[in-house]
Amino acid sequence: MELRGIVKILDQNYKIGDTVKAKIIIIHKMDTGFIKDKESGKTIPRFYMKEITATYNDTRVGHFGLDVAMSQNPVIQFPLKVTGAGTLVVDFVNSNGEKAQKSVEITPAG
Amino acid sequence: MRRRGFIKGALALSAIGLINPMFFGHALRAEEAIEMPVEGLVRDYLSGKEAENGSTIMQLNIPETPENGAVVPVEVTINHPMTADNYISNITILATKNKANKAISFDLTPANGMAYLYANVKLGQTQDVIILAKTNQGKIFKASKTVRVALGGCS
Repeated sequence: MELRGIVKILDQNYKIGDTVKAKIIIIHKMDTGFIKDKESGKTIPRFYMKEITATYNDTRVGHFGLDVAMSQNPVIQFPLKVTGAGTLVVDFVNSNGEKAQKSVEITPAG
Repeated sequence: MRRRGFIKGALALSAIGLINPMFFGHALRAEEAIEMPVEGLVRDYLSGKEAENGSTIMQLNIPETPENGAVVPVEVTINHPMTADNYISNITILATKNKANKAISFDLTPANGMAYLYANVKLGQTQDVIILAKTNQGKIFKASKTVRVALGGCS
């Protein structure tokens, strides 16, 4: 799956031991399966981002189960305790089972 | 002859009646599965336990009258310790009057440092947003806030 999305750390100049906020922005449809296409009259099938898993230096720091009451192009922020330099890897799975991955480097100051 | 016709007709009708509820029942069940009524979601979450009033420890930051129901930012901060043996293990955001009410469920660990979640949900009409939180010791907190939606997001 070609996924457009960003994972970033909102805070700057953080140190080891600080709690920072990570932000995930995904460009993805959240079709509920209730809406009809205006031109063809056919129901648009349910298609949405289903699961997001965040892993920080091999430790799972967040698992999100999304459903169709989320807005299109979901935005999520979640906290993270910085334990050292490393990578925050975020895995995405949508309702068709397609997978994608994004990551961001975590570099504490000092 | 007329009587025979009547009996045939009656038989045919009853046959339709027999088939129909089955067909109808199937359709209903399928719709329920896709619609996810909020009562069932809350019941599943509680799983027989009582929810405690979470409004004292939960800080909700939700606009009361968002411009657009399609994107309503919901921000939850829970003042609860996040130690290895006592922490918030899940935060769930539910809408109450959408056709599909489940928005997001977030599993936390002490590695998160604090209990916080920001997500944007869509609301089809004016309704309550329910926030449920669970600790690893099995306590459940519940809080809600009414959000007035002028322009509904397509639910």
